[in-house]
Amino acid sequence: MSEASSLGASSGVPPNPRPRRRLLIVGAVAAAALGLGIGTAYFLRDGHDAGRDGAAVLGLVLPDLHGQQQPLAQWRGKVLVVNFWATWCAPCREEMPEFVAAQARDGPKGVQFVGIAVDDPDKVRTFAQEVKLNYPALIGGYGAIELSKTLGNELAALPFTIVVDRQGRVAHTQLGPLKRAALDALLARLLPQA
Amino acid sequence: MRALLPVLAIVFATAHAEGVTSLAPKLLPPERAFHLSARALDASTIEARFDVADGYYLYRDKMQFSSEPVPVAKPDLPPGKPKHDAFFGDVETYRGEVVVRLPLARAAPGKTITLHANSQGCADVGVCYPPNPQQLTLAIPAGGKPGAFVEAGRKGLFQ
Repeated sequence: MSEASSLGASSGVPPNPRPRRRLLIVGAVAAAALGLGIGTAYFLRDGHDAGRDGAAVLGLVLPDLHGQQQPLAQWRGKVLVVNFWATWCAPCREEMPEFVAAQARDGPKGVQFVGIAVDDPDKVRTFAQEVKLNYPALIGGYGAIELSKTLGNELAALPFTIVVDRQGRVAHTQLGPLKRAALDALLARLLPQA
Repeated sequence: MRALLPVLAIVFATAHAEGVTSLAPKLLPPERAFHLSARALDASTIEARFDVADGYYLYRDKMQFSSEPVPVAKPDLPPGKPKHDAFFGDVETYRGEVVVRLPLARAAPGKTITLHANSQGCADVGVCYPPNPQQLTLAIPAGGKPGAFVEAGRKGLFQ
């Protein structure tokens, strides 16, 4: 509490040097915390390419399970969650029911999930039925791994998810499962932006 | 010091939260997570060895070997650790060191053999790597002495 009161006393010599020193330490740590916050935010922007133009994602055209070519540009203006996955990737399969739930809940508010499967159509079809997939499963085959690399998935591992905002900018990229809390926070932030 | 605790708590909480969303810097590339080497044990046997890094595992049923010009017979893969997969049923996984003996279809003393290995694995943090084809070239010894270990190079999947 003494720190708070001495904050206001900007002029004059403090009566007791000890609180002043403590204040300085608190200030230094707070500044370091702020610095770290900014540092990690930068890191995230770098590593996750937030704010980057999402044209490379929106320019993709891949076949769906019926062999129909689906341009991702058809969902421009929505919050687009593009998830690279495969049936041979257990962590991918584990997070997909949450995507199904989020699509059902927030689809009317403007979110569109799209799965790009690094897999064979038959396996994708079977799994899609199993989880009652309510968003497009596009077939990328193993070549889709290379495609994901060009979009920032340097390690070429799965799951890999890119979120593009309504303005067509990359809002988030994620290697590894997109945890429910993080997904909810992202959608809460991006969906209201008209 | 007590006054610093809330600040430090925020610093660590922030650092931790950021760390979780960004897995990439902590993950090994597959050739290091699942390091492959091999040697000729004698004129008719190859030994392949995967050193799986801590926190990673390989799927037993995804492990495949072939060779040329002398082919290897189907290997007797060591038993793995049983794991139930919701989609694929019961599977087996390998951690740590996996040693596989590959008998050549016929003895090839003094020959050079190209060994192709295909493997697929995941990291416990929740990512999987696509099937990883690798190859290495082995000199088969003319005598009974085992050859030296050779490290695998990476053969591009999509070239």
